[in-house]
Amino acid sequence: MKYETVIGLEVHVELATDSKIFCSCSAKFGGEQNDHVCPACCGMPGMLPIVNKKVVDLGMTAGLMLNCDINRTTTFDKKSYYYPDLPCSYQTTQWFAPVAVNGLVEIETSKGKKGVRIKQIHMEEDAGKLVHDDWTDSTLVDFNRTSVPLCEIVSQPDLSSAEEVVAYLERLRSLLRFAHVSDCRMEQGSMRCDVNLSVRPEGSNKLGVRTEMKNMNSLSAITRAIEYEVARHIDALENGTEELVQETRRWDDIKGKSFAMRNKETAGDYRYFPDPNVMPIVIDDEWFDKIKSSLPEFPEVKKSRYVEKLGLSEYDAEQLVQSRALCDCFEEACEVCGSPKDVVNWIISDCMKVLNRKQMTLDMLDISGKALGELIVLVNDGKVSRMNAKKILDAIFEGEENPATYAEKQGFIVSNDTGAIEAIIKSVVDSDPKSVQDYKSGKEKALMALFGKCMRELKGNCDPQILKKLLLECVEKA
Amino acid sequence: MDKTILSRLQKLNQLSLSDKEEESVLAFFADREAECEALSAIDTEKVERMVHVLPILTVVREDKEIKTFTRDELQKGAPETEDGYWQVPRLVE
Repeated sequence: MKYETVIGLEVHVELATDSKIFCSCSAKFGGEQNDHVCPACCGMPGMLPIVNKKVVDLGMTAGLMLNCDINRTTTFDKKSYYYPDLPCSYQTTQWFAPVAVNGLVEIETSKGKKGVRIKQIHMEEDAGKLVHDDWTDSTLVDFNRTSVPLCEIVSQPDLSSAEEVVAYLERLRSLLRFAHVSDCRMEQGSMRCDVNLSVRPEGSNKLGVRTEMKNMNSLSAITRAIEYEVARHIDALENGTEELVQETRRWDDIKGKSFAMRNKETAGDYRYFPDPNVMPIVIDDEWFDKIKSSLPEFPEVKKSRYVEKLGLSEYDAEQLVQSRALCDCFEEACEVCGSPKDVVNWIISDCMKVLNRKQMTLDMLDISGKALGELIVLVNDGKVSRMNAKKILDAIFEGEENPATYAEKQGFIVSNDTGAIEAIIKSVVDSDPKSVQDYKSGKEKALMALFGKCMRELKGNCDPQILKKLLLECVEKA
Repeated sequence: MDKTILSRLQKLNQLSLSDKEEESVLAFFADREAECEALSAIDTEKVERMVHVLPILTVVREDKEIKTFTRDELQKGAPETEDGYWQVPRLVE
C-alpha cells in the first residue's frame, strides 16, 4: 500500500528585542546563570507584567510578512504549565485572540511551488533552562531565558515531506530575518521547530495517529527525524511492530532515533484562560500603518531587481538576499560607487574571507556600506592598490568609516611621482643583476621576483600596471 | 462534568479530593452547566466578542533593557541554590 505523510509545524522564533516580553531584563542569549533576572521573570508573588511594545511590533511584522490578517484587538492568556523553568506555573501566551491569523507562505521544491497556510502567529514568553545535575541528584534552574519574547508560528498540516519542511523553514527564516523580526539561528535556539506528523493511506481523507517531535536544532536533523518517523509509522501500520499513540517524542540525533517523552496533551489539558494581569492590546490605525509602511521589500522582489536592473547573476543575487543587512550594505555601497558588480564581488570574495577568519557567516556582515563603496572608488580610481585595499577593508570591519582618511594616515595612497618610482626600481634592478640576467635569458619568473621587490619597497602604493611598465623599461636598459 | 473528567482535572491540577468534596464539586459544575445551557439559548450572532471584563487597555513600555536586581538579592529567600542556580528536586529520571 502507498502512504502519504501529513506534517504541520510549530515554529518558535526568539524576537529581536533588547529586553524581555514583560519586564526590562536583558533578552540577550547566554550570560552568567540567573544574571538577566528580576522579581517579575522569577515569578515572585505580586509582580505584574508590562508588555514590551516592540514585541507587538515584531508580532505584527511577522504576521504581515507571512500574509496574515492582524487581530486589531489582541489578548494574552495563561497556559497551565508545571515545570520549574516557568516559575509562575503558567506560561503567558495567546490563545483566544493571537496577534495574527490566516496567513500563507509560498515554498518551492523539486516538485514546484506550493502554498502553506499559516493558522496563527502568537506572542509568548520563553521558558528558562533546566540542568539535570547527577552530582547533586537535583535539577538546577536558570531563569535568564524565562520571559524572553517568542513568536510561535503554527502552520496548517499542509506539508508532506522533509524537503517541503526544509523549504518552508528556509522561507520563514529568510522572511523573518529580512524584516528584522529574529536572527533565526537554529544552533543558538532562536529558531526551534516542533514537527507534528502522521501517515495515512494515499488518497484517504482520515488523518492517522499524530506524533509531535521536539528537540531538533538543524535542518539536517529535522530531515533525518522526519524520515525516521515516517518509516516508523509505516512499519507500525504495515507490520504491527508497535501501536501508534498520540504522544510527544524526543529526537536523538546521535542515536538517529525518536523516543517517547509523554502522552500528548490536548488544548483542553492546558486549561487556557484570559490573563487578568494583562489588559487587551488594541492596535489602532496609526500603529498598524506605521508597521505596514516599515515592511521591507520581499527577498524575491529584491532578487529580481538585482538581476534585471543591476545586472547581477542569479547566484550573486541569491547570496545577497540571504539577509537584509547584506542587502542594505550592498545598496549603500552601490549608491556611493555606482558599480553593483564590483560591490558584489567585494562582498562575496573579500568580505567573505574576512568573515571566514572571524568564523562568521555572510549573513552576519555588519559593516558600513558607505565605507565599502568609498573603498571601491579608491581602488577603481587607482588611488590605493588591491593589496592595501584589503588592509583598509580590515579596518572597515573594525568600525573605520572613512577609508580615504584612513588610507592617507597609513600612507596607502598610491604615488603618482614616476620619478620616485623609477628611482626605487633602478635601485632594485641594480642590486639584483642575477634576476635581470635570468629574465633576459628567458626566465619570466625572474621579472616577477623583481616586481615583488619593487612593490615591497613602494609599500604597495603603486599602480601595478605602471610599475610593470616602468620595470620592463628599466630591465631592458640594464 | 462527570467523575472521569473530574479525575483527569485532579491529576492535571495535582489535587486529591475526598469523595464528599468530589460530590460537592460535581453538583457545583452541574449547576454551572445548566446556567451555561440557558445562556447558550441567547442569539449572540451579531454580538461582538467581549475580550475583557474591564473596559481598559494595557499600557506598553519601550524596549529598553534595565537591570533592576542582582542574582544575590533575588536568591536571598531561595530554599536551595547551587553555583548561581536555583536548585529544585530532580525533575527527570
